[in-house]
Amino acid sequence: MAAPIAIHLEFGGGAELLFNGVKEHHVTLPSQSEPWDLKQLLVWIQRNLLKERPELFVQGESVRPGILVLINDADWELMGELDYQLQDQDNIVFISTLHGG
Amino acid sequence: MCQVDEDYHDGLDRAEVPSVFKKCVKCKEASAAVVIRAGDTFCRDCFKEYFIHKFRAMLGKNRIIFPGDKVLLAVSGGSSSCSMLSQVQEGLSQNAHKKLRFLPGIVYIDEGGVVGQSVDERVRTVAELQAVFRATGFPFYVVPLEQVLDLPSSVVVMAPSSSEQPASAYKEAVDQFLKSNSGSCLNPKDQDPTSLPVVPEAHTQFLQQLIVSAKTLTARHDLLNTLRQHLLVHTARTEGYRKVMLGDNCTRLAIKLLTSISLGRGAQLAQDTGFSDSRYGDIILVRPMRDYSAKEIAYYNHLFNVVSVFIPSLDTKTTEKASIQRLTESFVTKLQVDFPSTVSTIYRTSEKLQTACGSSSTDDSSDRCLLCVCTLDTSGENSSSFQATLTSEQLSQTKYPARTKTDRLHPAPVELESSVPSGSCCSSGGGEDCGEVESGEGCCSSKEPEKTNLKTLLCYSCHLTIKDMSSVEHLPQYILLEAQRRKRRSKMREEISEFLLDDGVCFRVGD
Amino acid sequence: PQIQSFRAGLVGDFVNMPILCSSCAEKRAMLKRPKTGHSLCKECFFWAFEEEVHRTILAANLFQPGEIVGIAASGGKDSTVLAHVMKLLNDRYNYGLELMLLSVDEGITGYRDDSLETVKRNQQQYELPLMIVSYEELYGWTMDAIVKQVGLKNNCTFCGVFRRQALDRGAIMLKVDKICTGHNADDVAETVLMNVMRGDIARLRRCTAISTVSEGDGVVPRCKPLKYAYEKEIVLYAYFKKLDYFSTECIYSPNAYRGHARTFLKDLESVRPSSIMDIIHSGENLSVRDGVKMPVQGTCGRCGYISSQALCKACVLLEGLNRGLPRLGIGKHHRLHEKLLSQQPLTEKEERKLKSVDF
Repeated sequence: MAAPIAIHLEFGGGAELLFNGVKEHHVTLPSQSEPWDLKQLLVWIQRNLLKERPELFVQGESVRPGILVLINDADWELMGELDYQLQDQDNIVFISTLHGG
Repeated sequence: MCQVDEDYHDGLDRAEVPSVFKKCVKCKEASAAVVIRAGDTFCRDCFKEYFIHKFRAMLGKNRIIFPGDKVLLAVSGGSSSCSMLSQVQEGLSQNAHKKLRFLPGIVYIDEGGVVGQSVDERVRTVAELQAVFRATGFPFYVVPLEQVLDLPSSVVVMAPSSSEQPASAYKEAVDQFLKSNSGSCLNPKDQDPTSLPVVPEAHTQFLQQLIVSAKTLTARHDLLNTLRQHLLVHTARTEGYRKVMLGDNCTRLAIKLLTSISLGRGAQLAQDTGFSDSRYGDIILVRPMRDYSAKEIAYYNHLFNVVSVFIPSLDTKTTEKASIQRLTESFVTKLQVDFPSTVSTIYRTSEKLQTACGSSSTDDSSDRCLLCVCTLDTSGENSSSFQATLTSEQLSQTKYPARTKTDRLHPAPVELESSVPSGSCCSSGGGEDCGEVESGEGCCSSKEPEKTNLKTLLCYSCHLTIKDMSSVEHLPQYILLEAQRRKRRSKMREEISEFLLDDGVCFRVGD
Repeated sequence: PQIQSFRAGLVGDFVNMPILCSSCAEKRAMLKRPKTGHSLCKECFFWAFEEEVHRTILAANLFQPGEIVGIAASGGKDSTVLAHVMKLLNDRYNYGLELMLLSVDEGITGYRDDSLETVKRNQQQYELPLMIVSYEELYGWTMDAIVKQVGLKNNCTFCGVFRRQALDRGAIMLKVDKICTGHNADDVAETVLMNVMRGDIARLRRCTAISTVSEGDGVVPRCKPLKYAYEKEIVLYAYFKKLDYFSTECIYSPNAYRGHARTFLKDLESVRPSSIMDIIHSGENLSVRDGVKMPVQGTCGRCGYISSQALCKACVLLEGLNRGLPRLGIGKHHRLHEKLLSQQPLTEKEERKLKSVDF
């Protein structure tokens, strides 16, 4: 069993609108049998944080094209994207580059 | 039928997955933080250097901003234009030989009134931006979009370019500038720190009516873009700026290019997406951010704490098919995921284009679009998409005649010439016969502004926008007045044309 | 999909008040025209559609009296409507053209053999002579055989290149002066989008031209009389006229990138139906900056066909097939052309690179 982990989430560039305009979220992910990865985090966000229009944030099992992801200030492309395993105190940033917010 | 009639190389590369925990390609030491296109990975410091260098390189390469020029930065609050502002600050703080040598000012157009912000929200947004602007020490202008209602008609007339600045003069100007003026000489005007112009509610309502009178989101967008640009140009003129910097980035320009193609703006593509746009003559619009992708900008702003303010737009939270602009954005960003060279390939197309009609040498405004001020693209040949649509409109409204067997392929059809009127202002305009015969004034000077009346004054694409409007009576006065003036003039020209020996060439009506 | 687009074109089904035809103002409208938004009855639609093609032909001066014109006939909706309308206009307006059907047999079992049956029926229905040229005769390869060697990823490249030459060769055998093809407005708009997406400036400039002038020996001038006709209207025309056409997609055509452009175009059309014409207008009014390098047209060193390289694309592809090096014509291997022309052997490394193919 993996212990619960506390992470910091940040939404910007208009992505925050889908979260009631709240940019920063300190959340604790419950313990589960396997370690948390980014793919599961997206599912968790969709169930627990996202307030409206889920299709404007997630598409398929990834983020919607045009939304950038940084893991601890590094491009998620360098970190394995969806397969990245979350660590306690990680900082995950989602920035929309789309006009549609 | 099968669509593969021409051979294409499969030139587009599919996405490659970069390996995890790469080193920076530049210093080869620090671990990478950002993946730029083509899988290049940069560490934080090298990324910053690369980013800053690119801005100066873009300005240096194009040599349009001269030392000592007053340059107005159009900042929308979005990440791209805020990044541009930070780059200008960065450039002014560099040591002598890398230093930018122009005099910046900032303009913010507050569009809150048409994107559904309340007065309180607008005040809050403006306050937030003012804090950012004030910190730069540059003069700044906060202009509510409502002020577009008070513009003079001269905004939609191309002004003679004030003085030619050949590229060869650039170096001279640099030397001169260095001699006369070594330090930074920004003297921000004394401004009331809470100088938010009061907007009468009636103006906001009028503007909203105007936007709502466009029935499609596509047309609303287009209209808003047009009005914003008019207001930017006007602000630059009245405040004495000669150049306006826009924050369009490479991703945005790729989307804009494809959008423009889809909106029938092919002839205007070069101005709409190139580095510089001189359609207004005396004011030149430039796009120094055009080499940066949206991703680079978002990462830079995040890593180096560049503040931007998210302001909702007409598109916010709309569905993919809400407008052509929105649909294109979603198409390009999705394709970019599978084919990472999509944006850069589309964007590079813009560098190879120029207008078919060329920039007209005449300073006569009658061959310029009343809205976008580009050269008219509707005088094309007989065989064109434009004529074909006119033909379809006409054929869809007239009963077909009893057939004659006399029509022949040759000589050239008289029937075609007579049945597809061109040039006359009422030509095949959506069935609304404006009654030239009855009205003593002639068909074009009726008091009520009619959509069909504007048709000949508009380029192909702006006409599409007007077609999507329920009425043109909500257009601002400066546009309607200029329309009437042009109508009168063209009527006058028609009337006297038979007395002229050489039509048009030596004929100029002074106003 | 054709049924769907047909339904989308109908109006008046679900409203109580029938909409009257905007043209004759007498009969009930049967369809809404995507290009202009007008509603027309069947007869007025036929007339408008035919008249528009006629005016396109006149305005662009596509034909001269006495010419022999080959209609590229695939048996699909576009070429069937083209053959029908060309025949009709030639009679109605005394064009004085000698028309014939020209078909290419690519050798695709279950697709082309069936569609060729349609063309043969068209030949009788319209009383036009028909000529069929096959890939097998011309190149020694059927598409079925080519797919076996190159897989499904690049087969469209082969088919497209071979078809262009096949039509020309057929046309020359028949002493045809011009070929007209069934490209419609959707096809042209899609090609504009494709060329923008690929940054192919040379093709972007050419692709909206309604006709090509004779580009050299062995190339017959071509034109697209349906250039301004919407696909939707072509389908409706064929449906209402009960034209006999073959409506199955090619079994080998999964061209991903073009598919994206097509979907995008259809989406654009649904947002603003005039988009297709608007895109063509854009394409017609673009021009290229001075100093941008454009390829110089020459001729193929082997077959004499028009080519911007030492060898024409068809000869390179064929060489690749015959040598078992299918990648030869797919990537850019211009540097090898001289070697191939002088029949020098390729190095082992070069061979290895050209052999591998992703299926």
